[in-house]
Amino acid sequence: MHEAHHTSQPSYLSMTPQEITEDVLRRHEGSGRPFWVIAGVLAVLFTLGIVGLVNLLSGGFEDKNAWGYHAAVFAYIFIVAQSALMVSISLRMVKAHWRRPLARVSEMFAAVGLFNFFLLIPLLWVLPVTTGRRSLWFDFPGNSPHIWDTIAMGLLVVCGLAILYFAALPDLATVRDHSTGGRQNRYRRLALGWQGSPRQWKVLQTGLAVLGGFYFMFLIFTHMMISVDFAMSLIPGWKDAIFPAAHAIMGFQSAVAVTLVTMFVLRWRCGMKGYLEIDQFWGLSKLLLALCLLWFYFWWSSFFTYWYGRTPAEQSVLKLLMTETYRIPFFLSFGLSFVVPFALLMWNVVRKTIWGPTLAATIVLVGTFINIIRYYVAAYSIKDSTLHALEIAPPINTPGFNDILVVVGGLAGAVLTYMLATRVFPVISMWEMREGLLLQRVRTFMKINIRVMAKPE
Amino acid sequence: MQERVKLSDAQINRDLLRSIFETPKWYLILVGTLGLIVLCGFAAAGFMINQGLGVTGLNRPVMWGFFITNFVFWIGISHAGVMLSAILRLVQAEWRRPATRAAEVLTVFSLMTAMMMPLIHAGRPWRVFYWVFPYDWARGVYPNVRSALVWDPAAVFTYLTSSILFVYIALVPDIAVARDRSTGWRHVLYSVLALGWRGSVRQWKLQIIAGILLSAIILPIFVSVHSIVSWDFGMAMSVEGWHSTVFAPYFVIGAVHSGVSAVVTVMLILRWMFKWEDYIRLEHIEALAKLLIVVATAWFYFFLLEFFFGLYSLEGPEIALREMQVFQEPWKWLFIVFLFTGYIIPVSMWMFRSVRRSIGLMIFTTVLVNIGMWLERFIIIVPGLARKQSFSFTWGGYTPSPVEIVIIGATFAMVSMLVLLFAKVFPLIPIGDAKEGMVLADEITIGKVKVPAVMREE
Repeated sequence: MHEAHHTSQPSYLSMTPQEITEDVLRRHEGSGRPFWVIAGVLAVLFTLGIVGLVNLLSGGFEDKNAWGYHAAVFAYIFIVAQSALMVSISLRMVKAHWRRPLARVSEMFAAVGLFNFFLLIPLLWVLPVTTGRRSLWFDFPGNSPHIWDTIAMGLLVVCGLAILYFAALPDLATVRDHSTGGRQNRYRRLALGWQGSPRQWKVLQTGLAVLGGFYFMFLIFTHMMISVDFAMSLIPGWKDAIFPAAHAIMGFQSAVAVTLVTMFVLRWRCGMKGYLEIDQFWGLSKLLLALCLLWFYFWWSSFFTYWYGRTPAEQSVLKLLMTETYRIPFFLSFGLSFVVPFALLMWNVVRKTIWGPTLAATIVLVGTFINIIRYYVAAYSIKDSTLHALEIAPPINTPGFNDILVVVGGLAGAVLTYMLATRVFPVISMWEMREGLLLQRVRTFMKINIRVMAKPE
Repeated sequence: MQERVKLSDAQINRDLLRSIFETPKWYLILVGTLGLIVLCGFAAAGFMINQGLGVTGLNRPVMWGFFITNFVFWIGISHAGVMLSAILRLVQAEWRRPATRAAEVLTVFSLMTAMMMPLIHAGRPWRVFYWVFPYDWARGVYPNVRSALVWDPAAVFTYLTSSILFVYIALVPDIAVARDRSTGWRHVLYSVLALGWRGSVRQWKLQIIAGILLSAIILPIFVSVHSIVSWDFGMAMSVEGWHSTVFAPYFVIGAVHSGVSAVVTVMLILRWMFKWEDYIRLEHIEALAKLLIVVATAWFYFFLLEFFFGLYSLEGPEIALREMQVFQEPWKWLFIVFLFTGYIIPVSMWMFRSVRRSIGLMIFTTVLVNIGMWLERFIIIVPGLARKQSFSFTWGGYTPSPVEIVIIGATFAMVSMLVLLFAKVFPLIPIGDAKEGMVLADEITIGKVKVPAVMREE
């Protein structure tokens, strides 16, 4: 990607399809020095994370508590990055035209999902067997979560990568047709003989719709498995039917947030101001506002039922996760995931800016991170998961040096993966932009210019 | 939109006001028949009040039966109004236009009907006023302000008030159209209700802003109503299967499922009765069917969560309750019917475009959904109560009496009758919205094809 362009860039709405293709290809070809400097720093941080992971591995899998932050960073990347594809999938399903410039930005997170799959692997050894305790798996063979969670996660990753790849096929062919030498050869292989025939377009559109539907179902299913197997079932007495759904809502909220932040970075550092405009920020900010409210609703439904129920088991869970042990992370996450973003986004003047939604999204991402620590680190600090209810709450697990290495390394690895994926796939979906231009006209209605959108089936 | 027909303003006025100014014979027969059923319902309720609750099938420990099931059901139906009107208005879905008024009206009438059910259930309805006025919680025998049962009327009345306001604000321009074309008492009535509407730019601006603001304000009320209804159950610790954290969203999404289905049923019947084929088009029904697939699947997900986490606790009584619901007579038959009619049959059928565009099959499937959703509430309420006590010798069963069946049947007749009476006084398809849709409709030529297009609302 190129460095920031200081000259004002024309809106894509005023560009021709040819100009869009040329502009995106030009930006995709060269990446510039700052890109590789940042990538280098991230690679160093990622290496430090590997050191942290090796330290953890050398300590063995017996001490669950030591793995709490690793589990948290895995869950965080799962929640944020692997839900991010839903931004593109859902907006494509409802045929929102304003999605076009941001579709690839969100789909590119599929590559991060592949990275996260590797973070899951050591956790499988830490996860206790399910016999003698509450779990999703009842009396299924002892290693059920180990097998099925891996399969679910694997399917999710494959489906995500398939969406990224298939949705990029026409663009890969465009790169092929506009390049020479080795680059052309590479993209020829990647483009799988795409010629843009009517049949190919039909297969692509149908394929994306089907894959999108599958991804959504896999994602909801995996949210259920990860949230219950790696958090809820490890805390005795925590029976919360809404938690998998709340976990998914947290994912959708973070998905919108991470897309907004990525869009802001692409505008700021990569000269995408002409593509990622106020329409995209405004549209996503409305979604983020709705998801903040949903976050509160799901949290409230859970908390309120527990608070009202007041059984000893429920009280001990509330004390651990909200009112005593993890009180500070709870209040922080509540403020950052709901109160502050809601207070910001409820104003249209804030929503209809670039900085407003970005600020709210950044706050949401921090809030989600603290929330995940509250759930997962607390769950991994429980020694005996076979009890009926939590009798003595363990102390709060504050991060040590190695935990910080693991967290920073994990997050750096995720960002680095995303950056490297932008070297393969153009970050703006050229064909969707061209299609968008084809389907819209500007007409004069009364005395104003108004956009007319075609609605083909 | 694909199948729209270009209609003039005069044609729209004529078509949509026909139901007001013309009274076909079938209308009188239908309303009369429904009125008779409603009267039977009132007579049955009067009989019950006179004789006492002994004439119902309610008995310890099952003290909530058909009436409370029906209360939850009608509250659920009322959720269609906001779902279709407020949410689709906020997201500017073009295909919402013909459906909004019917959905809003259904909301108001189903809420009124729902509110009658606890009064009838009380056996001696006048006593409700003793409980509430003067409100005295000091002696402990009066309703507890901390109880979900007390929050319930507050939420439902707030929803009813705001829904009436919502319907009325959207109706004002249409009432003015009716005013300008009526004479006699109708003209006087419409003149008063139209609040001096002249269609000035300022009036339209205020009307649009009011619609958007009310849509946004009514959304939290919409969510709160069924959440609180769900907490009537969720906060009851002593009944197995009720104390679940997922109940609030599960009830809300279930309400949307049954409510939107009911709106589709009503729209299709009205389309046939009043010959509104140019307004309620197949593309609208198809869009609603697609929405229903999403809503139904979301509801099914919450149902699975609710059911599954009942078993997750590995507690004997909870597992026994689930066994009873799924494997024991007669509950297993009700459970199978509920599952097939509430989700499996309709959603499988809606996957096919031919079904989504078939009037008969859409009426069939949406009615099935509401059979299933009624049973769902019944299966949640009664089996849990039947085994409420810890000792098995205190367990009981429940068989509804004819009195209850007549009253429940009458509520369906009452809502249908009220919708028909409303259609006699006010247009059931928003005239202003239909005209706006015509203005915003356009066409774009791409290559050799003319593609339907729409001006983007900002």
